[in-house]
Amino acid sequence: MSELFIESPLAHRELARDLSIDLREIKDRGMIDMRGLTSDKKFMAAAKKVLGVDLPKTPRTSSSWGDVKCLWLSIDQWLVLCAKSKVEELIRTLRTELAGVHSLVVDVSDMRAVMRLEGESVREVLLKGSSLDLLSDDYKPGTVRRMRFAEIAALLHIVEDNVFDIYVFRSYADYTWEFLLVTARESSKVRLFGDQRS
Amino acid sequence: MSNKPYRLSRGGTHIDRTKKVQFSFDGKSLTGFAGDTLASAVMANGQKLFGRSFKYHRPRGLVGLGSEEMNALIGVGEGVRHEPNLRATQVEVFDGLHAVSQNRWPSLAFDIGAINSKFARFLPGGFYYKTFMWPQSFWKHIYEPIIRKAAGLGRAADGRDPDSYEHVHLHCDVMVIGGGLAGLTAAKAAAALGAKVVLADENPTLGGIGDLTAGSIDGACVIDHARAIGAELLAAENVHVMTRSTVVGHFHHNYLMIFERVGDHDPALLADGAPRHRLWKVRAKQVILATGAIERPIAFANNDRPGIMLASAASAMVERYGVAPGVNGIVFTNNDNAYLTALSLKKAGINVRVVDSRSRSDGTLVERAKSEGIEVSMGSVISAVEGNLGVTAVKIAAYRKGQGRVITERKVACDFVAMSGGFNPALHIWCHNAGKIKFDDALQSFRPDRHADGMIAVGAANGNMDVSGTIAEAVAAGETAAKAVLPKAKFSKFKAPDVKEPTRAPLESLWFAPATGNYNEGNKHFIDFQNDVTAADLELAQREGYESVEHTKRYTTFGMATDQGKTSNLNGLGVLAEATGKSIPEIGVTTFRPPYTPFSFGSIAGVMTNKLFLPIRRTSVYQWHVDKGATFEPIGQWRRTYTYTAAGEDKQGSITREILAVRHKVGLLDASTLGKIEIKGPDAAEFLDRMYTNMFSTLKVGKCRYGLMMNELGFLTDDGVTVRLADDHFLMHTTSGGADRIAAWLEEWLQTEWTHYKVFVTPVTEQWAQFAIAGPRARNVLAKLDPDFDISHEAFPHMSFKEGKLGGYPVRVYRISFSGEQSYEVATPSNMGRGLWNAIIEAGTELGIEAYGTEALHVLRAEKGFIVIGDETDGTTTPIDVGMDGLVSKKKTDFIGKRSLEQSYLKGPNRKQLVGLLTEEPTDVLPDGAYAVRVVKDKPPMEMIGQVTSSYHSPTLERSIAMALIENGRERMGETLSFPLEGGKVMRAKIVDPVFYDKEGARQNV
Amino acid sequence: MLMVHCPVCGAEGDETDFHGGGQAHVRRPATHDPATVSDHDQRDYLFIRHNAKGLHFERWRCDRGCGKWFHAARDTVTMEFKAFYGITELPPRALMDAATGEWATYFRDRLKADTAS
Repeated sequence: MSELFIESPLAHRELARDLSIDLREIKDRGMIDMRGLTSDKKFMAAAKKVLGVDLPKTPRTSSSWGDVKCLWLSIDQWLVLCAKSKVEELIRTLRTELAGVHSLVVDVSDMRAVMRLEGESVREVLLKGSSLDLLSDDYKPGTVRRMRFAEIAALLHIVEDNVFDIYVFRSYADYTWEFLLVTARESSKVRLFGDQRS
Repeated sequence: MSNKPYRLSRGGTHIDRTKKVQFSFDGKSLTGFAGDTLASAVMANGQKLFGRSFKYHRPRGLVGLGSEEMNALIGVGEGVRHEPNLRATQVEVFDGLHAVSQNRWPSLAFDIGAINSKFARFLPGGFYYKTFMWPQSFWKHIYEPIIRKAAGLGRAADGRDPDSYEHVHLHCDVMVIGGGLAGLTAAKAAAALGAKVVLADENPTLGGIGDLTAGSIDGACVIDHARAIGAELLAAENVHVMTRSTVVGHFHHNYLMIFERVGDHDPALLADGAPRHRLWKVRAKQVILATGAIERPIAFANNDRPGIMLASAASAMVERYGVAPGVNGIVFTNNDNAYLTALSLKKAGINVRVVDSRSRSDGTLVERAKSEGIEVSMGSVISAVEGNLGVTAVKIAAYRKGQGRVITERKVACDFVAMSGGFNPALHIWCHNAGKIKFDDALQSFRPDRHADGMIAVGAANGNMDVSGTIAEAVAAGETAAKAVLPKAKFSKFKAPDVKEPTRAPLESLWFAPATGNYNEGNKHFIDFQNDVTAADLELAQREGYESVEHTKRYTTFGMATDQGKTSNLNGLGVLAEATGKSIPEIGVTTFRPPYTPFSFGSIAGVMTNKLFLPIRRTSVYQWHVDKGATFEPIGQWRRTYTYTAAGEDKQGSITREILAVRHKVGLLDASTLGKIEIKGPDAAEFLDRMYTNMFSTLKVGKCRYGLMMNELGFLTDDGVTVRLADDHFLMHTTSGGADRIAAWLEEWLQTEWTHYKVFVTPVTEQWAQFAIAGPRARNVLAKLDPDFDISHEAFPHMSFKEGKLGGYPVRVYRISFSGEQSYEVATPSNMGRGLWNAIIEAGTELGIEAYGTEALHVLRAEKGFIVIGDETDGTTTPIDVGMDGLVSKKKTDFIGKRSLEQSYLKGPNRKQLVGLLTEEPTDVLPDGAYAVRVVKDKPPMEMIGQVTSSYHSPTLERSIAMALIENGRERMGETLSFPLEGGKVMRAKIVDPVFYDKEGARQNV
Repeated sequence: MLMVHCPVCGAEGDETDFHGGGQAHVRRPATHDPATVSDHDQRDYLFIRHNAKGLHFERWRCDRGCGKWFHAARDTVTMEFKAFYGITELPPRALMDAATGEWATYFRDRLKADTAS
């Protein structure tokens, strides 16, 4: 058989220009949706054994070990990030370790598009589509937050200060990209608080 | 137009006399200075006439100081950038500004519509209701178009708006509305305690009316003191200051909408691509209302003549813009404050005298005016105004409070009048979200009382009209608001500054100044200038029985114009109070509604235009569809291919080609949009038994089953095929439109009703690209793709499931059919969707594969009598109605909707039931939704007994087919029904079984 | 635009981030004994709701957060949320005592039944 043809959700989009932030698609990110009960010691232990780190129990936080990151999605749901090449093996190991434990582990690597926003005015750009208080101290590196962005559902992950990843369902990738191109224009840059003397 | 030099040789704190700007008004080129408003620049050129009134087309001039302006509504900008109805007092002039007056034809000075004024006695309050009642058909075609043309504001721009707009969300601890002395002081106090503060002001500069306020603070004049605070706030890290930003609305839990005019004043910004307007959505923990007060006009005869303005507006003209409102003026007042205007005018060299309705005042300003030689007539009112396009003289009559008619009067020549009937706290925003207000006798106005949200009013907005009181109140409010958010913050020890300000004698309400002669003899006491409502209209409404103030408002339209009664509200209540002998609180108030000032549609739309108008969902194969000439059909937010039309083909042709390919060869459908939900847990099977009408706990691993879902009312809400992946693990398919709804539905029942079930539900719709390969050659296509699983009918029969590789791609394959043909639905991870699709097309080409769209899909399923939720069901349709009794379990004791099916109203006779229809004339295709009637009559009404739910031309059967819900339809097999259509044609169709093709279901089972 | 707080995950946000689910504490009769549900009880379950002026109890879902359902007590006049509590819980005792009209009756009966069982 010929080589497989694999296409990321934003493969058809060109490099973004003239923006107040850097914007690019992150391709080939492995994503695993995990469901289980934090009260179930067997579940938590098995997850830690495979992932190398505890699934975070604190809402809107994340944990990581090496290149594996666990994002809190709900009190019984996490999104595990890893290299795409590792997904299959990780899922197999998880299912093995979780045999007989009430849980659900699903490969969702192709379900979402991931966009990386980087720069000093990332928060200001996102505030054009999100009603969250992104300027508050709650939104520090490591924070994970599901949110309404523009008119759709999105997942926000603050990777580092001024480095944000946005996850949207794959079908909305083009819409989200377009929204960011329009709202992140250098000419529509917004400054919030701080010294306003010009 | 007069050419008198109205620009004073000195003064004008807002203008830069070294920077001239050239602009046009009604086509005439005029000169102004940077810093001018359109109002001041036009006035400086000697023009007092700004527009024509709404109903009577009376000539109107400038009245207000800022956003309360109700007369000088101007169209600004040319072509697609034209924006109507802007207040001239808020438009900043720049080089090249193009402005036009409105509601006049052919010109401002000569307006044909002004004839309305001559017939004014026939246009009293409520004239719409009285005059244009009959005949009914005249309303739409004659009355309304004419009235709309004659009575109106500006015209909208033609064409697309070239500018951009956007929304921004912002959170803060304390939102301060208004950047005058009160707001700035409060913001500073709140910020000093560490609160995050946002301050918004609608003007280009901070300071409010500090420059028009008498007195000093610690030796500095009020405006310098205020601006110094403004500079501190701009530098502060925890304060965000917004100018040219109007808080237009206040909503639940301190949610505020702020309209920022970003680029209106500077075309260079727009040329650079800046948004023209921004709409801010601010969530504040506490709000401080520092919106100041709005001066009241006085209701005297013909008080709307150009040249009659508020005293504060006259002061602003002189002090801010160095513009004289005229050369010979009268200040007409019932309070001390307007004497400041008289002093300003005098100082600028303008001839001025004061007419004061009170019998006496010993206030500082009054004494100063007298000592400076200004002639003051106490106990006097203006009883008449002469002049039409401008004031030429007024009559001054002796007056005593309570006296209703003119006894003596004398005529005094003048060319403008500055009036002041007192001040109304600007409490609109206080009232937007049900803030309570109370009447204040000293102010003769309403002031804030209680508010359920955290909101505090300060300064003039709270009825506090003096400087020292305002400062103390603002500091306390700022700190109180900050402390409410930051409980650990400590109040400062407030040290009152050294404030020197005039003492003021009380005002005396003057709701109506008596006039020479009667109302209908050319005298109009305007209350609501913008809607042309007079004191007489209000009194008439009372006499006609519209006693409640809310009724009066609607009958006369008083307070309903775009200014939302800023200047008119209280004067109207005053007139009503005097007419009825009640007090103003007894009359009650009408509701102030958002927006505070009108704001642009562009700002409301924000970026949600063009490509961003709606979120559009694309499957992984979207671009292939586009390249192949797809017409798209919206399914929720998805775009699915309706049909692929090739060159030289019409849509009917391509649909037919696609259908026949599936029936005779093989077709390929992008079904990625189908909802997919993984359901797992020890109680998963029992849970599905609760959700579906039919049984799922008996389903064998690796097998598929079609399921029906009802809501609790017993009505069909979704359907789809579910496969059992493992004993405790299912994958559910939903309709494309139902994916999110059903996932949420399952979660809801798990979380709220069967909380003990151990089940997890994870929607995975978008993980999978899913394609249906359907047709007699479907298996041949699969075979060519080198499957690593047995695809023989025996090993992989209808309604079963396999996992494996196809063309090298990892796939889940469901042998399910919505076309009635041999069919495989193949799912692969989305990023490989395009690759697998291409591989299938490539493999299928020599087998005659055709991609098909949703219309072909719908015809194929209709030929088979398969229902579509939302076509054959309308939200009141039960499984029994569509003939699926067999899928409603009798064994299960409870599932969603089961009990409701037993309710009397669903068990009763005469339910509409699903049937097939064959038209008598095979080429007749019944329109979707056509009604069957019991008896055909010449014209409606006719008794309807059902409706067509799906109707197509079937290429397979070479005739039309339809499905319908018909009263007792199953008992009527063979009966012929009549369907009267628009235009008089009646189609007749015979009731038949809804399965038109392959009744035994043999074709899918090979 | 109400400000809603999720008691499950602590997320706070605009009401558009949440999903209102109507009146709280509606009992589904068929869950308990499907055989004995009268037409009248089923009608009440489907269609009859309180219309409280003042204190009211309702269901919400943390739609753009943890996805969990919860209960809220809200004053329908001032729009103030008095409490947020779990989807399987009753409101704080003080609020049950403060409830009026149909709600007062409901909580009285409910507490009596809970004590009895």
